[in-house]
Amino acid sequence: MQFNTIYTRSLAVSALILGLNACKSTSEPEPSQPYDTGVFVINRGNFFDNNGSISLINATTKALSFDIFQTENINSLAGGVSDYAEVDGKGIILVDNATAGKDAIEIVNARTYKSVAKIPSSDLENPRYVAKAGTNKAYVTCWDSFNADYSYKPGYVLVIDLTTNKVTKKIAVQKGANKLLVVGNEAIVATTTYSGATAISIIDTQTDAIKQTVEIGYEPQLIGADANGKIWFYADGKFVKFNLNSKAVESRIAFASPSSIKSAGSFTFNKEKTAILFAYSYSDAADNYKQKGETYSFGINDSSILTTKPVINKVFSGLSTDPNTGNIYAGFSPSLKQAGYVFRYQANGTLIDSLKAGIGPEGFLFK
Amino acid sequence: MSFVVYSVRYRILFSLLGIVLPLFGYAQEIGNKQIDEVKVTGFATEHFMAGLKVQKIDSATLVRFQFQTLADFLQFQSPIAFKSYGSGQLTSISFRGTSAMHTAVLWNGLNINSPMAGLTDFSTVPVLGFDEMSIQYGSAASCVGTDAVGGSILLSSVPKWKQKGSNFTIGGQYGSFDNYNGQAGLRFVKVSKSGFQFSGKTLFYGSQYNNHFNATERTDNAGRTYPIEPSETAQKGFIQDLYLKKKNGNTLSLNIWLTDNKLAIQPDVIAFREITQSKAYRVLSAYQFGNTNVKAGFVKDILDYGTGDFLNPSHSETDRYITRAEHEFSIKKKDSFQQTSLRIGGEFVHYVAKVDGYGGGSITESRQDIFALLRQQFTQKLTASLNLRQAFSTRYLAPFTPSFGLEYAVISDKNTQIKLTGNIAKSYRLPTLNERYWKVLGNLNIQPESGLNKEIGAGWKQVISANISTSLGINVYHNLIDNWTYWNPDKGYRVENLQQVLSQGFEISSNVKYLKDNNLAGISATYAYTDASQRKVYDAYAVDIIGKQLIYVPLHTLTGTAYVSKGDWSLNIQGLYNSERYITFDHSERPFPSYFIVNSTVSGKIHFGKIQSNLIFQVNNLTDTVYPSVRKNAMPGRSFSVGLVFSGNVFNK
Repeated sequence: MQFNTIYTRSLAVSALILGLNACKSTSEPEPSQPYDTGVFVINRGNFFDNNGSISLINATTKALSFDIFQTENINSLAGGVSDYAEVDGKGIILVDNATAGKDAIEIVNARTYKSVAKIPSSDLENPRYVAKAGTNKAYVTCWDSFNADYSYKPGYVLVIDLTTNKVTKKIAVQKGANKLLVVGNEAIVATTTYSGATAISIIDTQTDAIKQTVEIGYEPQLIGADANGKIWFYADGKFVKFNLNSKAVESRIAFASPSSIKSAGSFTFNKEKTAILFAYSYSDAADNYKQKGETYSFGINDSSILTTKPVINKVFSGLSTDPNTGNIYAGFSPSLKQAGYVFRYQANGTLIDSLKAGIGPEGFLFK
Repeated sequence: MSFVVYSVRYRILFSLLGIVLPLFGYAQEIGNKQIDEVKVTGFATEHFMAGLKVQKIDSATLVRFQFQTLADFLQFQSPIAFKSYGSGQLTSISFRGTSAMHTAVLWNGLNINSPMAGLTDFSTVPVLGFDEMSIQYGSAASCVGTDAVGGSILLSSVPKWKQKGSNFTIGGQYGSFDNYNGQAGLRFVKVSKSGFQFSGKTLFYGSQYNNHFNATERTDNAGRTYPIEPSETAQKGFIQDLYLKKKNGNTLSLNIWLTDNKLAIQPDVIAFREITQSKAYRVLSAYQFGNTNVKAGFVKDILDYGTGDFLNPSHSETDRYITRAEHEFSIKKKDSFQQTSLRIGGEFVHYVAKVDGYGGGSITESRQDIFALLRQQFTQKLTASLNLRQAFSTRYLAPFTPSFGLEYAVISDKNTQIKLTGNIAKSYRLPTLNERYWKVLGNLNIQPESGLNKEIGAGWKQVISANISTSLGINVYHNLIDNWTYWNPDKGYRVENLQQVLSQGFEISSNVKYLKDNNLAGISATYAYTDASQRKVYDAYAVDIIGKQLIYVPLHTLTGTAYVSKGDWSLNIQGLYNSERYITFDHSERPFPSYFIVNSTVSGKIHFGKIQSNLIFQVNNLTDTVYPSVRKNAMPGRSFSVGLVFSGNVFNK
């Protein structure tokens, strides 16, 4: 009996070795992995609970997988999640812990979601957004810690080498460094609201050095690049069209009838990148401070912004367009102590369905 | 308009008093010549809590754990859940499934919950701060007032009249992670020739928890890793109690308790540092003459929160001026068990709050309470209590709060005692100042919460042999709390009376004790089942949370103590089990796993001539269990500490 077992085991072992060799010697495609496709939802979490997560939506079957990092790694992310991006097969998760000095960046295999490396707290504070800045290279914007009066210090951009999973450089940038966009060899770093900053930084991704800073307007928030390669910001209550080649503002598009109480946020382009979708909202003091507003859109060639007919008669904390279908994904949180929802709309604003997410769904990555 | 409402309320109360008072008159009548007026010695409200479970903690236990905070101490004494942000950090209570604001914490009869947040941070209350303690389960708002919805914690200072002369204590404790404790105090009793007795206690205490864990994270057996949050807590306090008693028993007392608690998160990195400093100054004077007791008190709560250099923290200050008068009529029928006690009284509290978060300026508010508490012992077996309370505020209508309790001794002989209890009580929680005045988010129209608690219990005490005695008790409750406040995200987190919570469950406690000569051994254990959930649909997404166990409330809790002592030495092992705890309303996130922790204490007395020393050796979290705080940080692992307290008589002739 025992002999048998040992015999069977050695058979199994040799089969395994043979199998591995077989794998090596053939050039068959790798088997598909659980996280090869889908819509990754960035759930920011309830800040003081340190419970951000990434969940996955299968856009066709609507199958949902919650907290996929925890599912694959036992551990959960030790903080809120501020952003997620994939760079050359690796997933980069920015983890923002409620305690200052405890933030981190988790690097996973983007296809299996198994943890690969962790960039320690000592390298960063208040990570905000991440983007691919070259082969095996990622940029991460950080606010740094706050001043004692909660004002922003100058921020920085971390340069991460994904072959070693180490920070190779910190590039000092303006206060409240937030969203970034890499176009060609240039990385555009914009700012967050309440930062008081007025300029953006443009970094040369070849040298990892600041190339130029450009005044855009009060607290420029980055929207993205349109179909014509023009970069859009929202600054000083206006939409700003920026020419990256000439580094000049081409136009500032104002609301046809500006509201004194509403503000714009949660920007996204449509699939064709010819229109910008945004939430336009306010907190109604006359009605128990209920959050009110709608989602509007305007064309990149419009001369002013009309808010007469909303695309969606609801306001969301995160909007994104599926580049394959053009469907709109919108994050909604009934409370940060319960699961949020992702509402899916057709490009024209017709509701498709709503699906459960984690706590505070605000960002999306389509793969 | 509101005046009309109040007068209607008064009328209801007085008409109810109208029922009580004739009953009292009736008792007087039937007794007529055979009744005696009884002198009231203590003014403990527990007397009127017939049918409620009240657990008294003995003074030997308090001495053994004198270096602990109430947060660390209490969770092993009772199946109460605590919500902790970390070692030495904010730790709030959840009694029978209710929130931190639903437990009244009383110090010598005064509610010391912060008027701003409406709760007590149990990590800032050291066991050294009081002489006696009772844990009262269930609603007792008619007896103790606002907040006593899930239960109440009754702390009191007690003079030691029997002590001879003066007694000093001085001691210290050193433990793992560079954590220190120290205390020095004096207790005295003086009797004058004219018959005046003078007694008092002076105590200074302090602690410094450096929490040098020498690690940045902890990993449990399942591979779950939790970060360690660097933190430091410094605590100091001063207690002064003075009592002057006349020969006829009339007593004048003064109690002072000053506390200062400073917590620093990330203490070593100024850019990351976050400091919370809370101070409380509590002064209470009372005069008891005959069966009348009058009190005047002042409580100042200061809270500073800031980051970095802490030069310009956000500052909050609330003052409370309290006056209370009570009189008790107590009569006993001769040669009978019949006894009637009626206590009537009123309380007036005036608040002055200067809180940065309220937008500058100071806010004042006054609250009044009137109450009538009646306890009637009918026979040796049957006792009942009927208590009425009405709170008033200039701003809102507080619910009228009656309660009725019964205790019936089925068997009460020398060896066997079986008792049945029952209680039905209304309860209330007045809005906190934050709920009313916080800039934008507060709500001036917020209403008091109101609850209805029903419970029954049975207790059995059995002497098995000359050396062995046992007890077994069960309490079952159903507590429905309406107008439960909720900081509503749909309204930008403004607070509203939106929810309704039902908490129901039971507690079973058992105890076996062996005592022979000076050898003592025993085991006591309490299990609690707590099912607490939100019941009201107030918006489309409330459906996701209805009927689901409330966050941070374990369904199963078990606490136990095993002890052996011989002469002056004793070994004490305490265990605590909490089942998994949900962290989101809809249970969508992975809950915190269940955990089991064990503490052990060896204590003994060594005599050096006239000086006695108490040696306390403690191992906390013996099994080095890894479990998370509310913020998903690791709670401390195994720790050791040695404490030594010297005491002895001084100035004694």
